[in-house]
Amino acid sequence: MGSSAQISASKAFTLHLLCALAFAVAWVVACDVFSWTLVGHPALVLRLLFSVHAPFVIVVYSMLRREPEHCPFWKAVGRGLLAIPVGALLNAFGAIVLGAPVGISYLPKTIYWSLLMSLFTFVPAACVVGSSRTGWQSFLLANSRPIEELDCMIILPAYGAIIGSWFGAWPMPLDWERPWQEWPICVTYGAVIGYLMGMLVLTPAFILGMKRQARIKGD
Amino acid sequence: MAEEKWRMIRPFFFILALHCLAVFLYTRGFLLTRTELSSFSRCSDDHPCSAPLNSTAHSDPFQRPDRDHDQWCWTRPAVDRIVIIVLDALRYDFLSPSTFFKEKKPWMDKLTVLQRLAAKEPLSARIFKAIADPPTTSLQRLKGLTTGGLPTFIDVGNSFGAPAIVEDNLIHQMAQNGKRVLMMGDDTWLQLFPNHFKTAYPYPSFNVKDLDTVDNGVVKHLFPSLYQDDWDVLIAHFLGVDHAGHIFGVDSMPMVQKLEQYNSILERVVEVLKNQSGPGGLHENTLLIVMGDHGQTLNGDHGGGTAEEVETSLFAMSLRSPPPSVSSILDHSTCKLDLEGEMICTSSMQQLDFATTLAALLGIPFPFGSIGCVNPELYALSGGTWDGQWTKNRNQEYCSDLEEWMQTYTNVLCINSWQVNRYIDMYTSTAVIGLPSEDLRHLRELYTQAQTNLQNSISSTCSESTLQRQIDAYSDYLGSVAKLARSAWTEFNLILMFAGLCVMILSIFVQIFFILRVNNLLELNYLVSGITSSPFRLASALALVVIRAASFLSNSYILEEGRVGCFLLGTTGILNLWSSIRRGKLTIEEPAFLFLNIILRFGIMIGQSKKNVGSTSMDAHLYAFNISLDVRKQFLAIPMALQDLGKNFAPRIIYAIGFGLLTLIMLCKNLNQKEQPSSPAEQTTTATVAMLCAWSPTVLILLGSQGPPVALIYLFGAWCIIRSHRGVQMEAQSQKEVLVNDPISITQWSLLGVCLFFYTGHWCTFDGLRYGAAFVGFDEFNIVRQGLLLAIDTFGVLHIIPVMSLPLLVTLKHCYSKHSQVKAVLFLVLTQLFLSYGLITAVTTTFTIVCVTIQRRHLMVWGLFAPKYVFEVLGLLLTDILICLASLCYY
Repeated sequence: MGSSAQISASKAFTLHLLCALAFAVAWVVACDVFSWTLVGHPALVLRLLFSVHAPFVIVVYSMLRREPEHCPFWKAVGRGLLAIPVGALLNAFGAIVLGAPVGISYLPKTIYWSLLMSLFTFVPAACVVGSSRTGWQSFLLANSRPIEELDCMIILPAYGAIIGSWFGAWPMPLDWERPWQEWPICVTYGAVIGYLMGMLVLTPAFILGMKRQARIKGD
Repeated sequence: MAEEKWRMIRPFFFILALHCLAVFLYTRGFLLTRTELSSFSRCSDDHPCSAPLNSTAHSDPFQRPDRDHDQWCWTRPAVDRIVIIVLDALRYDFLSPSTFFKEKKPWMDKLTVLQRLAAKEPLSARIFKAIADPPTTSLQRLKGLTTGGLPTFIDVGNSFGAPAIVEDNLIHQMAQNGKRVLMMGDDTWLQLFPNHFKTAYPYPSFNVKDLDTVDNGVVKHLFPSLYQDDWDVLIAHFLGVDHAGHIFGVDSMPMVQKLEQYNSILERVVEVLKNQSGPGGLHENTLLIVMGDHGQTLNGDHGGGTAEEVETSLFAMSLRSPPPSVSSILDHSTCKLDLEGEMICTSSMQQLDFATTLAALLGIPFPFGSIGCVNPELYALSGGTWDGQWTKNRNQEYCSDLEEWMQTYTNVLCINSWQVNRYIDMYTSTAVIGLPSEDLRHLRELYTQAQTNLQNSISSTCSESTLQRQIDAYSDYLGSVAKLARSAWTEFNLILMFAGLCVMILSIFVQIFFILRVNNLLELNYLVSGITSSPFRLASALALVVIRAASFLSNSYILEEGRVGCFLLGTTGILNLWSSIRRGKLTIEEPAFLFLNIILRFGIMIGQSKKNVGSTSMDAHLYAFNISLDVRKQFLAIPMALQDLGKNFAPRIIYAIGFGLLTLIMLCKNLNQKEQPSSPAEQTTTATVAMLCAWSPTVLILLGSQGPPVALIYLFGAWCIIRSHRGVQMEAQSQKEVLVNDPISITQWSLLGVCLFFYTGHWCTFDGLRYGAAFVGFDEFNIVRQGLLLAIDTFGVLHIIPVMSLPLLVTLKHCYSKHSQVKAVLFLVLTQLFLSYGLITAVTTTFTIVCVTIQRRHLMVWGLFAPKYVFEVLGLLLTDILICLASLCYY
């Protein structure tokens, strides 16, 4: 495997922390500078989060791209940009299957939410793996090869975001009549919590666990 | 072979029996039922209570003296007119002075005009604490107030869905006996009494957020009516306080404003009444009653049985004052100084007694099913009850006012007891679930004793102590009746409920045990693994089933059950899609299933919006039918006779074909026991398809215009599930094991039924039943036939079709034909399939039962949890029966 496959836990944590910090900064800017809240202005906040978070994610994961000797940096960035709308479509489809409201008033919120979800789930994989069919196959197929650190870095935050938003949808039908029960606010909260958990807790833990196992095997 | 077959079928019957036992026990403890009797009291009914002093002292008391029947019926009318002002959800502390409570709250002492009247005119005006019986929902309470009974959750009767009261009731008696009733306000009254009112000004009550429309409408009609003489009973029902409570809670500005508004309205009402109360005035002998139908909690909820919800207030004022001796009848134990330093006394009464007392005051027959007792204080407040009608006919001795009143009251109580006794007798002989016989015997003893007393005491009628003893005897009897009725109709039996729950949980373990045993048999004898081979799929399927079941703990999730089901079905679809991507074999059925899910969710959304508009499904059904008839009339010019024939004849033919086919299948199965050339899987497929052919036309025609899309969705969804099930099996085979039952697919099969149930516009309350469907093909009502059709319509897509078509999941694409003992394997696999499907239903039902037990004091227990319980339990039993039937037909 290429050199990029061997990633230490601290490096993964640093890169993820960078993304998370960018996200946090965007959140603070939205709250304090523009005084928008997710509850009050979901579309605006989601748009801001997306536009601040996107460059960081694309740059970070493009640096981790597979076979860097054959694939220049700008190509990986281009793949990431292309993947944004594709991932957004997939996420929006999933949300609508599960019952997200459709309607003109919900359209901007749904669009920005799925763009953000695309950053959480699809874009990192696209930047790293690229457009080759075999690359995706080896990445996706269950038993094609042993799991590497890089896979963890991509898959765990994505799983975190998806499972988080799945659970985030649970309070929606309750009759508490709170503004945050609206689509997509609590789903976004769930997704963000799951994503951050995946990035900052699960990924380092998994990578450390894998290293320890490898060391035991080596011994 | 037959032995083998029975060994496989036996578990199904065992589980059915367990479930029946559990449901029986739990239902006896939880669902209190009462049978509505259709008998009515009549003026001419013969009662054994004569007016004793009218005859000579030695005459037979049971021989009725001549009475002028044109003047009165059972009791002598004491009031001419009654004004009943109902303030919905009037808590006791809204009316009672704040000095009666520990601390003064902002909502207290707002109805000052009534408090002042009660303090200044203690002889003719009084505040009562009226104690309602749960369920404290408006509809049930109005029913209780007017019938004088204890409406339960299920009143077994002839009213098939329509809320109109078929039992004898106060309003019916008023209308029958020439009392003109004028109604204004809450339109619930009109639903309950569609054609009893002389005039009605109903206003819609369903918009809880609207605090004023109903109230303003009532005010608009109330004051002009008070000057009219074209009514005898006026009912004005204000809704503002109830709605303000529901939206803002009791401790809120709108509530205080509402109460202040009512205070000024009541002030004007009292003023108008008093101005005309002089001799010959319109309101010379009018009784004003201001009452709540139930209380509310501080959050504005009601429905349950807590003190806040059942304690409501009743204010009564007679415009014709009784003599001062009334004060010895009235209760003085709860007197306190009010804010202005005046003594104010309150009493306590049961709402149950309202109907009887009012009927006694008006001089009309008591409602047949009333078990209340004429309340002495409310009765005495009216000056009319003190008219010494006996004095003229008596010459032996002189009775005081009080003694005369007590004679009157004894007579009233005698009639009261006779009427209650008649009802208890009739109820015992006709009810579905009667009353305990031991208590009945005790009641009968009390009644006989009281009547004997009456005979003995008849000679010394003027003695106060004798009369008091007689009154006590009657009160004792009536009190015992009310107590027995309460225990039978309003109290849960926790022991039975708990026993039922335990049996239900036991049945789940039995089911799991059977599933595991079948699994062992499969693995040991035939080297294929059953349901448990894939831990991830098993765990996720279990998690989904448990999440769905646990969601019934909250009323919101029950309301949104369709959306929750669709959400979970979508989740299974996404799980399947993801695992097929991970397998590297993305096939068309996985994305297709997701698209199907989108269609389902929009369909469910449309179905839900129908629910919110209101329960006019029957009208809509008939309306659609009429339109289609009109269209046909215009364009096809079919003769009317032929149309009628087609309307009823065509559905009946279809029912007949379905039934005939079903019989034929059973017959063939029993007659044709020879070995057939085709493989067992093919045979089972054929049998399943035949079974579907027998059931689906009936289900489809009952679904009406929704039938064709439902059929299409069903076929498509089933195709997707079967294909992906096949995919999972292939995957397992490639890993050198044979998985025959995929837990996720079975869960999907069951969830698809749930989604379609809501897609077709059903929901789990009784107004969600599509009554129109029961009359497809029939015009006249027959409880068995129409009930059966309604059941098929309700459970058709939810249980009947899924259970009957379940074998297709394994037989259509079977992949274990290489085994020598194919038939045995197939039947084991089918057994496991049915057991797993049954387990899903049983787990859901068990959770529902747990939730209902936990929430039995919840505000919505009668509106939401109890109907849900009934639907789940019926569904469970139906599933068990269908599985038994299917196993008999297919094995």
